[in-house]
Amino acid sequence: MSELTQTQGSDDTFSGLDYDNNGLALADICRSIAEVVRVGPDKPRRVRIALGAASVEVEWEQDRGQPSSVVLEPQGGTGAAGGAGDDILEGHRECAPLVGTFYAAPSPGAPPFVQPGDHVEQGQQLGIIEAMKLMNPLEATRPGRVVEVLVGDGEPVEYGEPLVLIDPDDATGGSQDEGA
Amino acid sequence: MGFGTVLVANRGEIAIRVMRTCRELGIRTVAVHSTADKDSSHVHAADAAVQIGPGAPRKSYLSAPAVIEAALRTGADAVHPGYGFLSEDPDFAEICAENGLTFIGPRPEVLARLGDKAVARSLMTDAGLPVLPGSPGTVDSAAEASDLASRIGYPLIIKAAAGGGGRGMTVVRQTSDLLPAYRQTRATAQAVFGDNRVYMERYCDSARHIEVQVLADGHGTVLHLGERDCSVQRRHQKLIEESPGPGLHPQLRSAMARAAVRGARAIGYTGAGTFEFLVHDEGFSFMEMNCRIQVEHPVTEAVYGVDLVREQIRVASGEALRMTQEDLVPRGVAVECRVNAEDPARDFAPAPGTLDEFVPPGGPFVRVDTHGRAGWKVPPQYDSLLAKVICWAPERDEALDRMDRALAEFRIAGPGVHTTVPLLREIVADPVFRAGKHITSFLDSRDDRQG
Repeated sequence: MSELTQTQGSDDTFSGLDYDNNGLALADICRSIAEVVRVGPDKPRRVRIALGAASVEVEWEQDRGQPSSVVLEPQGGTGAAGGAGDDILEGHRECAPLVGTFYAAPSPGAPPFVQPGDHVEQGQQLGIIEAMKLMNPLEATRPGRVVEVLVGDGEPVEYGEPLVLIDPDDATGGSQDEGA
Repeated sequence: MGFGTVLVANRGEIAIRVMRTCRELGIRTVAVHSTADKDSSHVHAADAAVQIGPGAPRKSYLSAPAVIEAALRTGADAVHPGYGFLSEDPDFAEICAENGLTFIGPRPEVLARLGDKAVARSLMTDAGLPVLPGSPGTVDSAAEASDLASRIGYPLIIKAAAGGGGRGMTVVRQTSDLLPAYRQTRATAQAVFGDNRVYMERYCDSARHIEVQVLADGHGTVLHLGERDCSVQRRHQKLIEESPGPGLHPQLRSAMARAAVRGARAIGYTGAGTFEFLVHDEGFSFMEMNCRIQVEHPVTEAVYGVDLVREQIRVASGEALRMTQEDLVPRGVAVECRVNAEDPARDFAPAPGTLDEFVPPGGPFVRVDTHGRAGWKVPPQYDSLLAKVICWAPERDEALDRMDRALAEFRIAGPGVHTTVPLLREIVADPVFRAGKHITSFLDSRDDRQG
């Protein structure tokens, strides 16, 4: 969060922008990033914003030391219109409904339930959370396009931890923060 | 064989208190927390923390699968349940064992037998402990209730078999109130404990609540650590506790201690436990047994110089108690006041809010167990206990003077935040309490007088 604030205030990053046209969109983007950062497992390592094509990169340091990045790009417009851009950037997080171990595939070695880019229907299985030897399906609560599976196969997850990021078909509903 | 990692399946002051002892023993600690407790002090006090569910206790602190999962994934060897929540749940204790985790408390079958208050009553009767006249088991029909009531006499009390913590009990003073009270207590018991069975007992208006602390290991040693007087209660909720019980006849005191040890031995109890007795005109009677560490355990720790949580952990890991009864000599007087976030002006309804200011007292012989801190928002979902102030002194009067000094030092403020501190100070100054002549109806009748 603090890194984000710093970036916002830095002249270097935002110099040359036409604030009259882009200020509003920028503020929207920053709010969206703040939200993504807030629900993320840790402080991000790096946040990059490019307003022209409205691309945003947030990078987290992972336990294994491999940086993973979530790149969100609106398919159509430049995002300058604001409003609808919010939800696309925020995405919809499917969060862990219980403490357990996350599995991305139905069995070891099998292809994963979903991959980035896949389109999922509401109720479609996204993964498994094993708790007390019981396999609990993780299902999509909204239809949309899978942006990223945020947790590795076989990783322990806490209640409320974001597991799958979905770009919802119906972007007007806003993101759902599952009680976190 | 000591534990490497202990998961503390609780929140608030007791979670922190358990973690402190673990740390002293070189044991790694794991906290579990709900989403409402993300930033609570017990989370910060632990070496690791796992978010196990949403704010509602049923889906977090009371969820055995969530707690077990958290224990397994953090490599815990044992689970300390604190008080309340899962602390006296035999199923939870059994699930712990099935998953290779040591439950720090008595064995599941002991918990199951003592958790049913009606069964506990008959077990203790068999062990030779005195009980009040009452139903031999649960009272399962209105006709049975009427029949038994005429034999027990009035006033009587109807209690939930699965009850505890002062909830699920109704005092009945005349025949016309019996059946409505019977139905209502069953309904409450069903709602609160998921078990509508109730039992009945004679009720004493003029009685003291005295409880005996016991400590037992798995090698046949059962010890007592004297008594606590918990007679200052508001609607069966304890507010002030002290050890030893003021003005108790030495013979009565030792008879109760012997009874508690006999009872614990009879049921094969292990760990720390408490026998609750009523002391009345005709002597004393067994009420129930609490199979956990209790809120008011610090007063016993203060007068005996024993860390009860440490002993619980040692006993659970299979060690034998290192002390003998002769080693346990009480010294001085310790008093505990419960500072709750409650509003006296709104009938002591919980008054949660953000603590703008929170400065606990200190100084000689003052102990404060709390999870409060300035800037923290007291969540509305949980118990209103915010802090326990414990004062020790060689004599009771000095301990009470010290308590008044400590309570006066306690600075708690925030929008909408009210506490029991003003009431506690009034009680500490009350001549009846000062004289040690208070009985369980002291506070409620005092409220009525002022009311």
